[in-house]
Amino acid sequence: MGVQPWEREILAREDMQLTTDPLEAATDDHIYFSKEASSGGRGFGGGGCGCN
Amino acid sequence: MDSAAAAAGATDMTAKTRKERSVSATLAAATCALLGSTAAAPVDAQEEPKWDFNTSLLYYGEDENRVQDVSLKSIIRRLFTDDRALTLGLTVDTLTGATPSGAIRQDVPQSFTRPSGISSYDVPAGELPLDDTFKDTRVAITAGWQQPAGEKGLLSVGFSASKEYDYLHTGVNASYAHDFNNRNTTVSAGFAFASDSIEPVGGAPIPLTNMLDVGDTSNRVGDQDKDVLDVVFGVSQVISKNLLVQANYSFSQSDGYLNNPYKVLSMVDSVTGDTLTRTPGIEGGPSGLFLFESRPDERTQHSVYTQAKYFMNGKVLDASYRYMTDDWEIDSHTLDVRYRWPIGDSSYIEPHVRYYTQTEAEFYRLSLVDDSLVPLPQFASSDYRLGNFDAITAGLKYGWKTRNDNDMSIRVEWYTQSGTVPAGQLIGNQASRDNYPDLNALIVQFSYRFSR
Repeated sequence: MGVQPWEREILAREDMQLTTDPLEAATDDHIYFSKEASSGGRGFGGGGCGCN
Repeated sequence: MDSAAAAAGATDMTAKTRKERSVSATLAAATCALLGSTAAAPVDAQEEPKWDFNTSLLYYGEDENRVQDVSLKSIIRRLFTDDRALTLGLTVDTLTGATPSGAIRQDVPQSFTRPSGISSYDVPAGELPLDDTFKDTRVAITAGWQQPAGEKGLLSVGFSASKEYDYLHTGVNASYAHDFNNRNTTVSAGFAFASDSIEPVGGAPIPLTNMLDVGDTSNRVGDQDKDVLDVVFGVSQVISKNLLVQANYSFSQSDGYLNNPYKVLSMVDSVTGDTLTRTPGIEGGPSGLFLFESRPDERTQHSVYTQAKYFMNGKVLDASYRYMTDDWEIDSHTLDVRYRWPIGDSSYIEPHVRYYTQTEAEFYRLSLVDDSLVPLPQFASSDYRLGNFDAITAGLKYGWKTRNDNDMSIRVEWYTQSGTVPAGQLIGNQASRDNYPDLNALIVQFSYRFSR
C-alpha cells in the first residue's frame, strides 16, 4: 500500500485533491448546514448563522 | 460553515503542500517584502510570488417564494516560503423570502404576530404558514495561517467571524497534520471553538409560551448565546498511484441557546387535530394558540466521514459517505458522488449526485395537544429540519480554462427535500393534510479562479 515519491504524478493533480474546490465545498457545507440537522464531517462542523 | 474553507480537513492540505513545496522554497524575498522584514532572503527566487484568488457568485432559490440567497464568496490564498500560507475568506449573503413558521395548515385563514411583535400577517385557508418577514444580510470572514511543524508536520490556525442582523459568530480553530510512511499516510487532529450570540428580532421568546398579540412583549427576554466545540481526527492514506482515501471522526458539542426563536407549534384539539382558536387583539395578533418551540440546551453529535478519490484514465471519481448520530436521536446518512470527466485538454464536466436521509429528533412534534390529563412535553419543535426526511441533490458542473490559464466553472444543481410526519403524531383532520413543508431549491454557482 502506498507509492514511491516518483509515483505521485497523478496524486499531485489538482483534481485528485480531497477538496478540489474549497469554495464549492464551503458553499455546500453552508447550504446543508442551514437546511439539514447534520453538518461537518469533511472538516469542522457548520456554524455561524442563525439560518431560518 | 465558516471554518470549512480555511480548515477543509487538515489532511487535504498535505498533498497540495508537497506540490507547492518546490515553489514556495523560492519565495523568501517576496515574503520578507510583504512582511516588511529586513532579514536577508535566499537568493534563488526564480518564480513570482504566488497568490491564489478564488471567487464565486451563488444563487440559491427555494420555490414558492421561500428563501432566496445571493452570495458572493472569495478565498484569497497567499503562499510564502517554506510552505507557509495565509488564507483569507470573505462571504456576503443577501437573504430574502419566507420560511415555515412551524404552525400547521388549517381549513380556515390564520393570522400571526410577526417576530418583531409590532405587526401581524395573514395566511390563507389551506396554506402552509410561512413567515415572510425574513430578510437579512450576512457578512462572514475567515483567516487562516498554515506552516510546517518539523519536517513532516503541518500546523494550521484560523479565525472566523460572521454577522447577521440577529446573529454574531466568532470562532477559532487549529489543526495539526503529520505525514508517516513515506508520506503515504497523514494523520490529523483539529478543533474549532465557536462562541455565538443570538439577538432575536423582538427579543427571544420564553420557550413554550404563547405567541402574543401585537404590542405585547411580556414573554420576550434578552439576548442569548451558545458555544460549539468541534473536534476532528482524520487519517488519509495513499493506496496506489490512482487511489487516495480518507476517514474522519468528528465530535461536536453545542451548549446554550439552541432554539430557533422564530419557530412555533400549533396547539391543537385532541380529537379534531385543529388549531385552538383565539380572538386577536385590536391591533392584530394570532388567530390561534401557537407556542414558541423549546429545544434542549445541549447537543452532542458524532460523525464518521469517509472519502475516496480514484483516477481512472483521465476521469476522477470522488465518493464520500457520512454517518451522523446525536443525543437528540437524529441519525443521518449522506452519500455524495462526483465524477469529473475531461473534455479535451482544457475543460470538463462533472455530474454530481447527493443523497441524504435523517430520522426525526426525539422532540420533533407536528403540533402540541391540548389535554388536561397530559402535561406539555419539556421539549418540542416542529422545525422541518429536525423532522424525518430524505433529500436529493442532482447537478452538473462545467469547468474550463480561459486563454490566460485561469479556471472558470458553472454548476447548476437541484435540491429537493421530502419528509414525513410520524403517523403516530397525526391527530384527526391532520391525517388528510399535507403536513410536511417539502422543499425544492435551485443552486447556480459561477466560479473564477486565478493565480499570480
